[in-house]
Amino acid sequence: MFKKLIKYLSSLRFTILLISLLGLIFAIGLWVPQKRLLKTIYLEWQRNSPSLVAFLDALGLTTIYTSPITITLWLLFFLNLSLVLWQRWPVIKSRITLADAKIADPVTVGGYPFRSSYPLPGDLDGEKIIGLLRKNRYTVLGDATGFYGVKNRLAPIAFMLFHLSFFLILLGGMISVYTEFIGYLDLAQGESFQGELSRYNESPQPKMPEIGSPPSASFTVKSIVPRVVQNTPTGISVLLVDSSGKTHEVDINRPYTTEHTSFVFKHLGVSPLFAIKEASGVEIERAYVKLDVLQRRPDRFALGGFTYTATFYPDYVLDNGKRATRSMEFNNPVFFIAVEREGKKIAEGLVPKNGALEFAGYRLEMRDMPFWVRFYVVKQRGLSILYAGFALATIGVIWRLLFYRREIVGAVREQDGVRCLVVAGRSEYYKSLAEDEFVKLFNGIAGEGLKAEG
Amino acid sequence: MAYWEMIFYLIAMVAYALSGGGLIYSFVFKNPKVVSKVTLLVAFGFLAQTIAIGARFNATGHLPWSGHYEYALMGGWFIIAGTLFVGWQNKQLQGLAVGTVPLVLIMLGYGYMQNPALTPMAASLKTVWLYIHVYFAWLSFGAYSLAMASGVVFLLKQKSEALGVPNPAYERFPSLGRLDELIFRYVVFGFITDTIMITAGGIWAKDLWGNYWAWDPVETWSLISWLTYGITIHLRVTFGWREKRLAWLAIAALSSVIICFFGVNLVVNTSLHVFQVR
Repeated sequence: MFKKLIKYLSSLRFTILLISLLGLIFAIGLWVPQKRLLKTIYLEWQRNSPSLVAFLDALGLTTIYTSPITITLWLLFFLNLSLVLWQRWPVIKSRITLADAKIADPVTVGGYPFRSSYPLPGDLDGEKIIGLLRKNRYTVLGDATGFYGVKNRLAPIAFMLFHLSFFLILLGGMISVYTEFIGYLDLAQGESFQGELSRYNESPQPKMPEIGSPPSASFTVKSIVPRVVQNTPTGISVLLVDSSGKTHEVDINRPYTTEHTSFVFKHLGVSPLFAIKEASGVEIERAYVKLDVLQRRPDRFALGGFTYTATFYPDYVLDNGKRATRSMEFNNPVFFIAVEREGKKIAEGLVPKNGALEFAGYRLEMRDMPFWVRFYVVKQRGLSILYAGFALATIGVIWRLLFYRREIVGAVREQDGVRCLVVAGRSEYYKSLAEDEFVKLFNGIAGEGLKAEG
Repeated sequence: MAYWEMIFYLIAMVAYALSGGGLIYSFVFKNPKVVSKVTLLVAFGFLAQTIAIGARFNATGHLPWSGHYEYALMGGWFIIAGTLFVGWQNKQLQGLAVGTVPLVLIMLGYGYMQNPALTPMAASLKTVWLYIHVYFAWLSFGAYSLAMASGVVFLLKQKSEALGVPNPAYERFPSLGRLDELIFRYVVFGFITDTIMITAGGIWAKDLWGNYWAWDPVETWSLISWLTYGITIHLRVTFGWREKRLAWLAIAALSSVIICFFGVNLVVNTSLHVFQVR
């Protein structure tokens, strides 16, 4: 019974079943909104269909990639893989071993579908034939009376490498998950960060690592310069100065990476310097305010006892009497601001850069308009193991499927009074391709003798 | 679309429409002589498509790599390039165009209905990983398409031979045994390039999004597609699935790639693989 179970668990049939089930689970994960990945959509869906969502929650389908059933399938997959590798290793070892026992009669040997014989010119001796085979990258045992040749002898090892790479990917992936810190950090130009946990955004809450500590990097944001051409963001340059005074440039596709931590640019906003003055010119308050207004949504802030709702036009224009922006390029940045006190709107108007809005005896000035950025901060270890797994998988699959094994057995012997090279050949995967190659190879070898004769 | 891009895009579509019709005619009306002439027309369409890509490159300053229209333009180019290359290497395989040319024609027609506006390259695409990732993605799509086309031809030829009076249009193709191996070889080539594509994508994603894997819909489908072809290889090598079963598998498996490239973003709007920032 136990043997039967082990046999099934190590069978390819079981592998295919597991892979198909995992594929099905991945596909379900695409259609059922996932709690962690699509939180907003999930919450909206939960509001609309609470009983259906509760049912799917109970089945673990809304956290499908980490649900017990998926983890069980992964465990079974790696168990299956371990058993397959354990069972295959002796087979692979025997296949790559060079032994005289592999020399066989090319006429009677079984399992070699390609068979042929080639008449040889008189001066082409056995040693030369073996030499020509070696020149064609065959490892050859024996001599002209009987030989065995193999090309890409070690190719079966690539099978092990490819499948072992999955373990490296698993190991790297697990280390990265358990040491992972994730948080969002909003920093404006001129602001410093010393690694304080309190500086991370409260929503979404930072994910603390199960093992290890959160990031300890510290730096100051020196400058933020976005680039937008024809409405398409074409880049951003965020200059950071670290505690040793070294400058680092962050761009899209180029995070600031230090101590297993990446600060990835995620989002851009404006942080104008607003000052509010009384009619007498006395300044009441001034502050840089981080506004998330670049998605054409208004944002709110408070200053000097008033509340403001700000809508931003990066390239302001009046279009048929309506406020609009010509493009997303920052050619003519203007805020439209509605001022409220105790929930009641008391004024509204435009505030361009270095301009002002006057209302109820007050004056709101915009003196500067730098930017702020949101960093996606992720710290994780194990990436080098993971990438080694990726590299090994790539090398393994290329080696195994492109540099496949070809084996030949042969002998030089008399046939109907003519000295002939009698051969049999076989190859992995590509029978026709190898047969064409054998024909070319042996015609070439026989032809070498003719060339020598000529 | 740039002016010359539109002109040559339409010329390519007309050439593919005519050659697709010619190929189907040669099979249905048992006239194999047409195939080599039609291949010239495919080559003409390919030239026009290349000029269209060049005109777009000239207008935008970058190769068309993103969005459904550019997927269709560039992906179709790779599939036709592969078809012409194998036909040039082995004349017996020119007829594979009967599977790939209609596929590319549908892709181009679909692409034309999407947003072909000229846009500068989004910042997220400015990395060397784009070229590695997308280039290998198209190579694998091209190879899988050729595997599908070989599967179609295999099934047609097998059916024709079973009738007792074989259609001469199939005579120019390799034997059934060789066609069977050809399906497998294209699947293998596609699987290798697919592996490189996923690996490069993971490394790129770490720099661009902060995570090497995020269960993004396109990522997930590419994994499903990779697993599908992985299973296909195992079925062939270990279980000896050949001929008819392999041919049907190669045809059916292509749907996973088409869903990955075009289908996912039609249904799900949460993919990170939407690079047109508008």
